[in-house]
Amino acid sequence: MKTLAYHRPKSLDEVFDLMASSEDAAYIAGGTDLLVSGGASPPTLISLRSVPELMGVDETRIGAATPVADVARHPGLAASHPVLVAAARRLGSEQIRNVATVGGNLCRAAPCADLAPPLLVLEARAEIVGRGGTREVPIDEFFAGPGETVLAPGEVLAAVRLDPPRTGAQGRFLKKGRVRMDLAIASVALLVEAEGGRCRRIRIAAGSVAPTPLRLQPVEALLEGAELTDEILEEAAALAAATVRPITDVRSTESYRRRIVGVYVKRGVAQALAGGEA
Amino acid sequence: MTLDISFSLNGAEVVVGVRPHQRLLDVLRRTLGMTGTKEGCGEGECGACTVLVDGRVVNACLYPALEIEGRSVTTIEGLLGADHQLSPLQESLVARGAIQCGFCSPGVILSAHALLDRNPNPSDAEIRDALVGNLCRCTGYVQIVEAVQEAADRLGSESDV
Ligand SMILES: Cc1cc2nc3c(=O)[nH]c(=O)nc-3n(C[C@H](O)[C@H](O)[C@H](O)COP(=O)(O)OP(=O)(O)OC[C@H]3O[C@@H](n4cnc5c(N)ncnc54)[C@H](O)[C@@H]3O)c2cc1C
Ligand code: FES
Ligand code: FES
Repeated sequence: MKTLAYHRPKSLDEVFDLMASSEDAAYIAGGTDLLVSGGASPPTLISLRSVPELMGVDETRIGAATPVADVARHPGLAASHPVLVAAARRLGSEQIRNVATVGGNLCRAAPCADLAPPLLVLEARAEIVGRGGTREVPIDEFFAGPGETVLAPGEVLAAVRLDPPRTGAQGRFLKKGRVRMDLAIASVALLVEAEGGRCRRIRIAAGSVAPTPLRLQPVEALLEGAELTDEILEEAAALAAATVRPITDVRSTESYRRRIVGVYVKRGVAQALAGGEA
Repeated sequence: MTLDISFSLNGAEVVVGVRPHQRLLDVLRRTLGMTGTKEGCGEGECGACTVLVDGRVVNACLYPALEIEGRSVTTIEGLLGADHQLSPLQESLVARGAIQCGFCSPGVILSAHALLDRNPNPSDAEIRDALVGNLCRCTGYVQIVEAVQEAADRLGSESDV
């Protein structure tokens, strides 16, 4: 099927009017997912690229239409939420990052979406708008399954909202692909707060190892309050490997994915404790 | 349904009729006959279709043509000097054996050009990172990375004087 109509609304009101008046329409942002998957594009596309309500990026709110490159190169975000910037830098190529949007990455709801694990550990919120108004949903509840979100038909992800950074929190993002530009075989984001070798608080999330991007709460519970010794990190790695629910597909196998996640949890904590760049 | 849109192409204003399903790549190659921009995979993987939109590299195979309205596009043809002179970057690529069959070259050149614009003094890792989205089946990349480094050095010393 070829696209027969391509609309470029200039406001959210116009977006909802167009959606209401068309039965077969879909939203398009950067199009780097939509225009690749299989070639059967929807007959009517409503572009979200020129909608002011979805634009703009700072340390508290990232508009859904923000290109991933603008996150990767944002000095304010690099200082406040480096774990997110590190993941943005690992998404696709420069060409892809310049058009791929933050909203598209989340709304596609792929298990491998690189921005999901860092947003999960930052406990970000999704700002969702529809005809009836705005609601906020924790990112943890945004993904409903592979390719599925909690967005109701016609609803739009307007932005991602971030809390101010927590003092002393160290973030890390680790991603395994076959080559540098590849979807993740597995990825891990984590955010550690430690004092004198003891873990005060930790958030861990993984990509490509379950039907949706996943918070690893059992591993967090094991580590919080504990002395971060080699022994407990071994235990955390084993628990992480047991907690995830990966599959074998063209990119990798179930057992390799479990291993990688374990190794990355251990390595990520060690790197975070050592300090330096996310 | 065909819509007329206008945009700037290599510095000149153009008006073209575009259909909703067309990609920027189709408009450049078919409508305008500008074949310097190549089509390899058609899926954003190979970078043969790389062009600059408002100074940023994009894959023309994934860019809906209608989105180009009012924007500024630079293709490989746009880098040619008035006297058909190659740029220092292009000269370095030729001199270093970084151009073999040449199919990837327009995309490689535009990616490296955009890199040197925003970072005139890139490290080896930064050059490789900027070229992640440009596949080359011939050179093995080492020559390309060296050529970009050499061009950066040359451009740097030229602007010093
Ligand atoms: C070569 C290549 C490499 C890639 N590498 C990576 C990678 O390393 N990591 C990674 O995570 N992804 C990767 N991707 C996938 C893709 O680029 C990203 O997921 C990107 O962020 C998608 O954003 P987009 O704006 O292009 O989405 P689109 O294709 O425009 O949209 C995706 C989906 O989300 C919906 N949508 C978009 N925005 C909204 C919104 N605001 N509200 C409601 N619905 C919306 C659309 O209707 C569509 O269903 C790659 C893709 C390609 C082609
Ligand atoms: S043809 Fe566009 S990336 Fe390959
Ligand atoms: S020179 Fe042949 S593909 Fe690069």
